[in-house]
Parts: sequence; structure tokens; C-alpha cells
Amino acid sequence: MSELTKIITAKDPVLRNSSLDAFCRTAPLEELMAECESLELFRHKNDNLYERVRALFFLYAIHRFHLPNKQGIKSEGSIPFHGYINLLKRRFEEAIEIFLDESRATGHSDALSSALAAAYHRLGFQTLADQVRRSVRSVRGNQWMFRIGHPADHPLRVRKELLSVKSKDYLFPILREATPVRMDLSHSGWSDIFFLGMDFPEGARVLNVSIDLSVRQTNEYSNPRPPVETYFRAIDQPVLRLVSIDLETSAEITSIAEVFDFAKDYLGLLKAAVIASGIVPPGMEGAEQPLSMLLERLVKPGHGIEIVSRVNGIPKGSRLAVSTTLLASLIAVCMRATGQTVALTGQLREDERRLVAARAILGEWLAGSGGGWQDSGGIWPGIKLIQGVEARPDDPEYGVSTGRLLPAHYIMTQKDVTSQVRQHLQDSLVLVHGGMAQDVGPILEMVTEKYLLRSEQEWQGRQRAIQLFDKIVGHLKRGSIRDIGNCTHQNFDGPIQTIIPWASNLFTETIIERVRKEFANDFWGFWMLGGMSGGGMGFIFDPKRKTVAQDRLQSIMRETKNQLQKAIPFAIEPVVYDFAINENGSIAELLEGDRALMPPGYYTLSIPDLLRLERRKLARMQRTELDHFATACRNRPELAGIIQVLFDRLLPGSAQESTDKKSLDELLQDYGFDRIQHEQIKADLRTGRIGLAQNRLPVSSKIQDVSSDDIVNATTGLSERHRNIGMEALAQGAVAVVSLAGGAGSRWTKGAGVVKALNPFCRLGGRHRTFIETHLAKSRRISRLCGTPLPHIITTSYLTHQPIETYLQRVDNYGYEGPLLLSPGRFVGLRLIPMTRDLQFAWEEMPQQLLDEQAQKVLESLHAALLDWARKMGEGGDYTDNVPLQCLHPVGHWYELPNLFVNGILKRLLEERPRLKYLMLHNIDTLGTDVDPALLGYHIDQGACVTTEVITRRIEDRGGGLARIDGQIRLIEGLALPREEIEFNLSYYNTSTTWIDIDQLLNVFDLNRTQLNDKAKVLDSIRNLSSRMPTYITLKDVKKRWGKGQEDVFPVTQFEKLWGDMTALPEIKSSFVVVPRQRGQQLKEPAQLDGWLRDGSAAYVDSICEW
Amino acid sequence: MKITKAVITAAGKDQHHLPLQTLIDRDGKEKSVLQILVEETISGGIEEICVVVQPGDEASYSAIIGDHAGRLNFVVQSQPLGYGHAIYCAKDFTQDDPFLHLVGDHLYLSRQKKSCSQQLIEVAEAEDCAVSSVQATRENLLSYFGAIGGRRIHGRQDLYRIETVVEKPTPTDAEQRLIIPGLRAGYYLCFFGMHVLTPTVMEILGEQIEKAAASRRITLSDALDELAEREQYLALGKSDLRYDIGVKYGLLTAQVALALNGKDRDEVLEKLLELLYVRELGTSSRETE
Repeated sequence: MSELTKIITAKDPVLRNSSLDAFCRTAPLEELMAECESLELFRHKNDNLYERVRALFFLYAIHRFHLPNKQGIKSEGSIPFHGYINLLKRRFEEAIEIFLDESRATGHSDALSSALAAAYHRLGFQTLADQVRRSVRSVRGNQWMFRIGHPADHPLRVRKELLSVKSKDYLFPILREATPVRMDLSHSGWSDIFFLGMDFPEGARVLNVSIDLSVRQTNEYSNPRPPVETYFRAIDQPVLRLVSIDLETSAEITSIAEVFDFAKDYLGLLKAAVIASGIVPPGMEGAEQPLSMLLERLVKPGHGIEIVSRVNGIPKGSRLAVSTTLLASLIAVCMRATGQTVALTGQLREDERRLVAARAILGEWLAGSGGGWQDSGGIWPGIKLIQGVEARPDDPEYGVSTGRLLPAHYIMTQKDVTSQVRQHLQDSLVLVHGGMAQDVGPILEMVTEKYLLRSEQEWQGRQRAIQLFDKIVGHLKRGSIRDIGNCTHQNFDGPIQTIIPWASNLFTETIIERVRKEFANDFWGFWMLGGMSGGGMGFIFDPKRKTVAQDRLQSIMRETKNQLQKAIPFAIEPVVYDFAINENGSIAELLEGDRALMPPGYYTLSIPDLLRLERRKLARMQRTELDHFATACRNRPELAGIIQVLFDRLLPGSAQESTDKKSLDELLQDYGFDRIQHEQIKADLRTGRIGLAQNRLPVSSKIQDVSSDDIVNATTGLSERHRNIGMEALAQGAVAVVSLAGGAGSRWTKGAGVVKALNPFCRLGGRHRTFIETHLAKSRRISRLCGTPLPHIITTSYLTHQPIETYLQRVDNYGYEGPLLLSPGRFVGLRLIPMTRDLQFAWEEMPQQLLDEQAQKVLESLHAALLDWARKMGEGGDYTDNVPLQCLHPVGHWYELPNLFVNGILKRLLEERPRLKYLMLHNIDTLGTDVDPALLGYHIDQGACVTTEVITRRIEDRGGGLARIDGQIRLIEGLALPREEIEFNLSYYNTSTTWIDIDQLLNVFDLNRTQLNDKAKVLDSIRNLSSRMPTYITLKDVKKRWGKGQEDVFPVTQFEKLWGDMTALPEIKSSFVVVPRQRGQQLKEPAQLDGWLRDGSAAYVDSICEW
Repeated sequence: MKITKAVITAAGKDQHHLPLQTLIDRDGKEKSVLQILVEETISGGIEEICVVVQPGDEASYSAIIGDHAGRLNFVVQSQPLGYGHAIYCAKDFTQDDPFLHLVGDHLYLSRQKKSCSQQLIEVAEAEDCAVSSVQATRENLLSYFGAIGGRRIHGRQDLYRIETVVEKPTPTDAEQRLIIPGLRAGYYLCFFGMHVLTPTVMEILGEQIEKAAASRRITLSDALDELAEREQYLALGKSDLRYDIGVKYGLLTAQVALALNGKDRDEVLEKLLELLYVRELGTSSRETE
């Protein structure tokens, strides 16, 4: 029996909890390969879900982190394309089989390991997600909803109380549910993740408090109140009307299909609640009957229902589980209204709360989102101890997983935690929203993975978090809030960041540091809420300083945000809350008679539309409601200001443009927008001369992989001679570095418009470092090594110049000794509304990642909505419906060197340093690259115009590579490949790091050093060469922000010209060199960070830096 | 335990005219619904019957009962305080005796030689406790019935020990509390409209009426839920047929069912086929001529 399967199946917890890493560190390649074979057999034969999943994660980790570092593994190898396609289509088992067959046939390689790692990783998560889904469906009380498929079979009825009207002037009563949100007082190492609770119930514990909130320093809400309110009533129209007051959206739904169309509008969450509450049961998906048929049975003939949601001023990313609470509240109100709870009003019973929680999980799955099992904690009252429970024989999970899907809730009594202690807690804690709203999904995946692997440090961290949890509960019972602060702070500094280093960030740490300095001993501790810090956070103070602390935190957060807002994505301005513990949990009230009115926001949203209709066209109830509302406006003081709001909505004034910001036209003028070229591109795009499909080379092109003779392999080092040549050039000052930082880094920040180069992405050398600081630290080391300061040029664009300049001034150029120059971009484009042809090509013709079943449905519905958007906005038109900076686009890195010619930076450098002969150009995300003397020496020795560094390909390296095309060795962009599978035959991937001979390059542009003074000549030669470069049409996701931290993402069209195509010019002498992966790999997405840290890449970067 | 008394409720707001409707019984004779129900009880050995009616209905009921008038007593439910209250109105009639209870808007059709009430009374007498007839019912119909939760009695295919009774449960509730091992998914045991009840039920109803607010309607299901707590209470699973004559086409369906199970079966079948022929085939055959 293999050692690893022994660990997985061990009954003895010591053996079972052994770390995979510890075993793999010492095992040689052959042993690990044999273990992989055993694990593969084991996972196929084993019936136990968690043993299978753990085997999958072991296999993933071995292929991702351990095999690539073992002596003897082949670095080059091809990944079968049909395996990759299976991976995209989520046919993981088939993909794995294809990769394993390839490994057996051609020998194992680093490339195949990367493919297998990806497949095992995703199959592992798929298996876990499937299990949660099965468990949710099998919860008693939920099963029937999957059996009901026809409206005529609908077993629910709206309660009579909601249909009783005393006279024809009366409105139907309204059922209102008010639900607090939850905060997790312990931060229990994310132990509320379903997978963890189901495998390790004894370790899954949280201290969950229901709270009311109000945003401080606004007049809108004076006292904390339940942040989530939902409303249900019958209406005299046979439609399902959904209204979200905070998102200012409503819809009248008449078909069952539309209820299941989650991404059509912003009402996805309400739709999920309608389904999960059984009003339109999930079993009815695909039913063709009209919704009115269902409503007739549910309510009565000719009638329908209206569901309204409202979140009282709490922005997204609060880490207070607002969206799950909203879902739970909606489900609760719908269940009450249809008799699925005993009481129509008041609190819910324990069994009812549990069912609401289970259905909220179902709703999250339906809407394609997900959280932890404590997130619906707000429906329970007060302070709860929630813990995982072992599955017993009568549970559906029994025999499948150790623990149950749903945990047990113990509501702490006044005896456990007295009123004084509760008050003390409220008086000490300052709750804030720092303004960051990031997707915590990747973090939750990392937690699951690390738990299953039992990585040593992380596992110890979890044990420590469990001890701290016990201490926090103890301190709470004793009433020692100061000690709680101490523990939550220790938890953040210790276990939380040990398990997930990315839970913290520079923003949070700066705030903590400043608070500590200002409040010294009166600051009792920091407390992280939810998935990660930066959004919702808690600071515990001596109660006598709380008010001051609230004021100061507001200022500190605002100042810190202002310093970092171009470096870190913020969704909103930071806010401080007032809060109170809610001792009711979710509670409902029936509003009857004159009180049967919706909240004011509902009317400001709906009345303008109603007033546009003739009175006779309104339904009876709408007319009555208008009358009632008009009376209420006159009589009820809380509606005093509403007339003004309504008036403003009916007659909106002209939008107030901010005057301190430049208009789009001014920006275009400032940044070198070429209107003539733009109109040409637009015309070409509309007529179909250019487009995604036209980016490609002709199918008849002969594209082959290069042979090992065509390139030089520098992965094991170059000769001492090359190193000496390079060192000498460095000492003479013949080299400068060009870091490309003009791009928006849209994959890094998902289009948020912050500057990737300034993002403090990781803690290196003891502190959070930005990309720029890291690159400068490498140049500093080289400068010191050769004794001559290395000039470092950072290219910028309209988007990045100002922020980078300001930032570098503030940090005093990070103390960089050599010349540090910014090269501002001189070319810019204007984004275009995409052609539906291109959207369809991207979504339908190109191989696409198929998502999990439900998420895929949501995505397809989103695609339909976006196609509609493009048609309505006018395909191929200028994209101007966003803040001006989001409408511009950089025109590709081909322009970066011409920029240096135009903006005078190269001229200046050459004048100051006539011996300067070479440039090393690299992307901001290629963190392992530096001015390596041996590689420089090699480039000089070759006498090439450009020498490009390539790496051997892994599955994640997409976007072209090195190829022999019609006999010529050159780089090719992924966009230009006539068929996707060709890429999988190319062994080498472009790192985008290029060594350039300045004079040879100027020559290609038909320029020389002295002609750099002649601006007209420079521009002319750039235009001439640029016309020989291919123009690629690409789609980019752009964020549009609105409301309270809400964001929409739109695909827009832009064009670019890329540097790699220079290697296709016959007059350029190009050479190519293979470099080690750690040097050449790029960090494109934050999700890569954890692997990058764990596989030794971060340590490598640290080793070539001098901070 | 010997059961000789029966209580038929016919005081519901929308159902009080239903027992007066006339049908042709299985024996080919014209009878009122009430007559058919009375004969059903007599077939089980019942000697005395009490009919709970709305004020003013006694005379019209007496007029249609025919030969069995001597066995019948009428009790008036003066206020519509619910089904449970209607039964409680018969307390003076039942006194301390167990009794058979039927609802006045249902007709029962046995698939066996023994009538439905006879089968039920035999079980109740043998087990010496309250027994309700129940039938496996699909979850989409739960909103029409009282339903039970419990366990099958070892060695018996058709007998259950009742633990819970819920009036018109939602499937959400039913799935959590009323699952019976051995039943297909989505099916629950719902009341058939026929019960043998013990004096304890009257006692519980009395307590509930006393406790309830003046306007609250008293359900039988609540009392039966309480009964299951106090004494042995069984359910007899039935595959027999029952027809609710209070629903749309209920009377017509019941009539067809009676006819198809009675002596005029062939004649009625022939007429039905003729109807079909003229409606569906007759038209097309004429068209082709």
C-alpha cells in the first residue's frame, strides 16, 4: 500500500493529519510517480467521498508543487489539445485519462504535470460542489420542490390573511420581514466553509452575532436597525412583480422561464429566493406553462404577487453576509406567506430557521454564488455558537461525509453572556467598511485546499485558531472584551495569515498601524470579518474612547484610501457604522389597512412610471395605493421629504459633471488620440474587414514548432564568458531597463482601473511590495553588483502616469540610486461598443471554459443580456458611457518603444549616457526577470537586434509562443493563430522580456541617434513602421460602477499592436533563448499568487532583490 | 369495544345542501346522499346515527331519509366554529361511547365485499382504540386534507401507529414530519374522511373549545394530534375509493363511479361510449360520408 493512501485512510488522527508536503520533500521522482499511480487507482476504487477528494487534492499538489522541482523531470513536453478541450468542457475524467495516456506514451513532463494539476484541482472542487448540491437537495423540506414540475401540481397557497380586504378601497395586507446581518466575532479560520464542516465538524465553529446597523455620519438612519427588509403582498394582476429598492430595479414577470433567467437584470437574488422558497419550485425549470397559471393556483385567479427587497444603506463587500441575509430574509417572507411556517408574524421557530438557512444555500447555488454556513446567521437572534455536527444514521449525509451540511446553532442565553457584557461589547467595538470589495471566492478555495492537504504550517495555524476560539468564547462569558480584542488580533496576525497570507493587505495594515500609534493601550485589538480584510472590519477600543475612535477611524481610512486608491481597488468611500446586537433575529409583521404601504423608496421608484399611464389603465389596487400614498404623504411625518424626491425623479435636472476632472474630449486630445486612424478602424470593424476572426493568419500558413537547434537553452546557465561580457557592459553603463507599466492590468483588478504596477501584491522581505518596488529592488542589486547605477525606465500611459508619478514621489522613488525615468505614452485609443459578431465569435467559436452547471446558465443569460446591450448601444460605435478614463484604451505594447522616441526620454538618456547601447524591455508582471549579466552577454555576443526570452510551456501559458512560420522563426500571438490547437504544439511561450540593440532598432525605424531630435521625422518613421504591423481587435472587460459599490462589467472592443510581431520583420535579426520558468513566468491574476508563493517563485524573486 | 353510534357532519357553510342531493345507488335505486351514507354506517353495524346540521336544516333532512328515520338524531351547530366544534356538538349523543364519524360531503366505495365502515369498525374493535382511515395521497393535494405522521405496525401492511396529525400541511412541513417508511416519495397518508373516535376526542375538543378565543375555529386535526399523545391511535390504510361531492363535477364523478360499480354497469358504460362516439368519432364519420 502506498504511503499516501495510508495517510488518507488512516483512523489514527496523527497519521491522517500528516502533511503531504513533508512526505513529498524527500521523496525522489520515481517514488512520487509511483504514488501518483497508486492515488489514481485508489480514487477510482474508493467510495468514500472525502477520501476520494483528498486523493484528488494530493494528486493536484504533487503535480503542481512537487514533481516540477524533482531532478530528472523533462521540462518540455506537449499537452494534448483534446485533453485541454475536455478540461474546458468540464469533462475532467476524460481529460485526466488523455494526459495520463500521453505521459505513458511520451514520458512524463513538466507540461503534463501542469495539465494534470489543473484537471485534478478542478475535479476535486467539482466533486465537493456536487456533494453540497446533493446534500441541499436531500434536506427534508427541500426535496418536494424538485419533484413539482407542473403549475397544476403546485401544493402551496398564499395564506388567507394576505388576501383579506375589508372593502374595495383597501389594499392587500403587506408582510414585512426585517432581518439583521451577522458578524463573526471569532473569525474561525474560515471554518464555516461547507467542505470543512462536512469533513471536520469538530473543528468547524463560529461565534456569530446578529446585528442591526446604520451608517454613521449620515442623517438617513439615526439608529441602528435591521439592515435587510423584505416585503410580500398579493396584487390584483396575474404577474410576479420583483422590486429591488436599493438597486432601483423592478420587473414584472409573466413566464416561468424568466424566473430562471438570473442574469437578465439585477433581480437574480430575488428570483433565486422565489425559487428556493418553493413559490416557483426548482423542479419547474423548463415548464412551458404561463406563470399566471401558477399564480392562479397559488393566489387566486387574476392575481399575482409582489416581492420587494431593501438593504438599508449597507454597501457591498461589508463582510457581514448582506447578500445571503437578503436571500434568507426573502425566503423567510415567502415561506411565511405560503404557509410554510407556523406563524405568519413574529420570530421563526428553530426548525423553520434551519430550513430557511438550507434554502438560502440552495438559492446561492441557483444564483451561482456561495458563502459559508454561518452567513444566514442573522435569522437567529442574538449571539450564537454555531458548530459543525457529526452526521448520524438518519441524516442524508450519513455514510457520505463525516459531518452534516447544516451545523447546529446554540443561542447563548443571558446567563451565558449577560446584558452588561453585550452592552460592553457594543461600547467597545467600532465596525467599519474600509471600502475594498473583493471577490473572496479564490480565498475560500485556498482554505479548502490547504485543509485537505494538511500543509504543516497551515494545519498548525488551524489548531491555533481553534484554541483562540475557545479563549474568545471564555472571555465573552467572563465579559472581558479587552481579552477578546487581544485574541482576535492574535488570530489575525497569526493563524489567519498563516493559512491565507492574502487575507491581509497594505491598506489594512496601514490603518492598524496608525490606530495603534494614536490609541496605544486604548486600542484593544483588530478583528477581521469574513473572507478577507479591507472591507468590513472591526476595531476594539476602550469604551471611553469609542466615539473618538469612530471619528478618527473615518479620517484614517479616508486618508489611507486616498494614498492607495490608485494601487488597490476600492469600491466605495470608507464608512463607519453604528451597530447594536439584535436579540430577535428575523422577525415579521403584517401591515394592514392604512399601514399597508411599502417603504418610501418603493414609491419614488414606481410612481413616476405609474403617473405616466392614464389613470384608467392602472389596476384597481394601483389606483387605491396611489390614493393611500398621497394621504400618507400629507399625514405621516416620516414621508415629509418624499414629495421633493419624487419631484426630482420626475423632472431630473441635468447631470452634474464634475468640473475638476477632464472631459473625454480633453483627455483624447492630451494623450495623442489619432482621430483619423480611429475612424478608419471603426469603419473597418463595422464592415467586417477587421474583427476577432480577422486577427488570424491564413489557414494555409505553415506553423511548426521550433527545434532545439533553433534556440539556446539558458535554463541551466550560460557560460562564464557571456557573464563577463555582460558585466563589462553593465559596468560601462551600456544598459537600461524598461518596465512596461502603461497597461491597465485588467486581469489583475478585473477592470477596476487601478494601476497594477502600484499594487502592493505580496509581502516580500518583510513588507508588502508593489510591482515597481520589486523591479527596482532587482535593478538595485544589479547596480551594486556591477558598480554602475542602472537606469530604469518605467513606461506609463494616460491611465497610469499621474498615479505612478505621485506614488513614486511619495515613496521617494523607493530610494532607488540610479536614474529613474517615466516614459509617458503618446498614443491612445477610444474604446468601441463591440460588434455582436465579435461577441458571438468570442463566446461561441473560441474554446470556452464551461462553468459549473448553474453558473453556466447564469453566464449564458448574461451573454444574452450583453448582446442585447451591444445592439441597443449601437455596434461599433464609440464607447462613452462610463467615466472618461474607462473609455480610453492603451494601444498595445508595440508603441512603448516609439513612445520613448517621441517623448524624448531616449534622446535624453542617450545624451546623458552616450555609451548606452542596450535596453532590456519587460512586462510589469514578469517578476523574476532582471538584467542578468550572462543573458546580456549572450545578447551582445549574438549581435542580434532583439533577443527574446521564452520559457517551456505549461497549460496556463496561453496566448501564442515561438514558432517557425512559413520557414521563419518568430513569435506569434495567440490571437493570430488560425486554429487553437496549434498553440499546443508550440513548446515555448513568450515571456515578453526582450533585449534590444538600440542602434539596430533605430535603423529598423529608419532613424539614427541624431534624428531623434527631429520630431516630424520620428513621427513619420513610426507611422510607416506601424502600418506594417498587424492590428489586433480584442475584447476587454470594463467595469462601470454605480450605486453603493455595485459594479457592472461590459465587454468593449479595442485594438492593439504587439511587440512580438517585430520578430516577423525580415530586416530584424532576432534570437531566442530559453530561460528558467521562475525568471520568465508572469503573474497575471491574484489567484496565481498563492501557488507562486508556495512553489518557491516568491522566494526566488526575493533572492534577486535588494530592498 | 363495541361501536354502535355514528356521527355525520353536514353543517359546513358550503356543504349543507350536499347530503340532500339525489343519486342512483349501486343497487339502481334513487337515493339521497344522506341515505347512502346512512346505509354505509348501518353496513358496519351502526344502530344510532347523529347528523350535525345548520340551524333550520333538520326538516329538509328528515324529509329525505326514508326508512331509516328511526335511527336518526339531529343536532344543530348554532355557530360556524369549525369542524371540530361540529363534532363536539354531538357530545350528548355519543356520551362515553366510541363512535364512527363520516363527513357529509363524501361518498365511499369499497373495492372489497365489506363496506369501508365495516372494515374500519372491525379494526377499531379488535385493537380497542381510535382508528382513522387514511389513503396515500400525492403531495400536490395536501392542501385539501389532514395528514398523519407515524410508523407502520410490525407485521401489518395496512395499519399505522399515528404520532402526528397536521391539518392541510405544506409539503415542506410534510417532508419534515410526516414521512412514512414504505410510501413512495411525495406521498403522504391523508384522512379518508372516516374515523372511529373514542370519548377522549370529545374530551380534548371540549378542552380546546374552552381554551380557544371566541372566534377561533376548532379543527378536528388539532384534537387528533393531541389524541395521539394521550392514547393509542391507529390509521388504517385504504385502497378504497372516496368521492368529494363538494368539488367541481364532484357529484357527477361520484354518480359515474357508483354506476360503474353497480348493477347497471353495462348500461351506463354503453351510454358513456355512445356519448364518446358521437362527440369524437361520430362527427368525423359523418364528415367522411
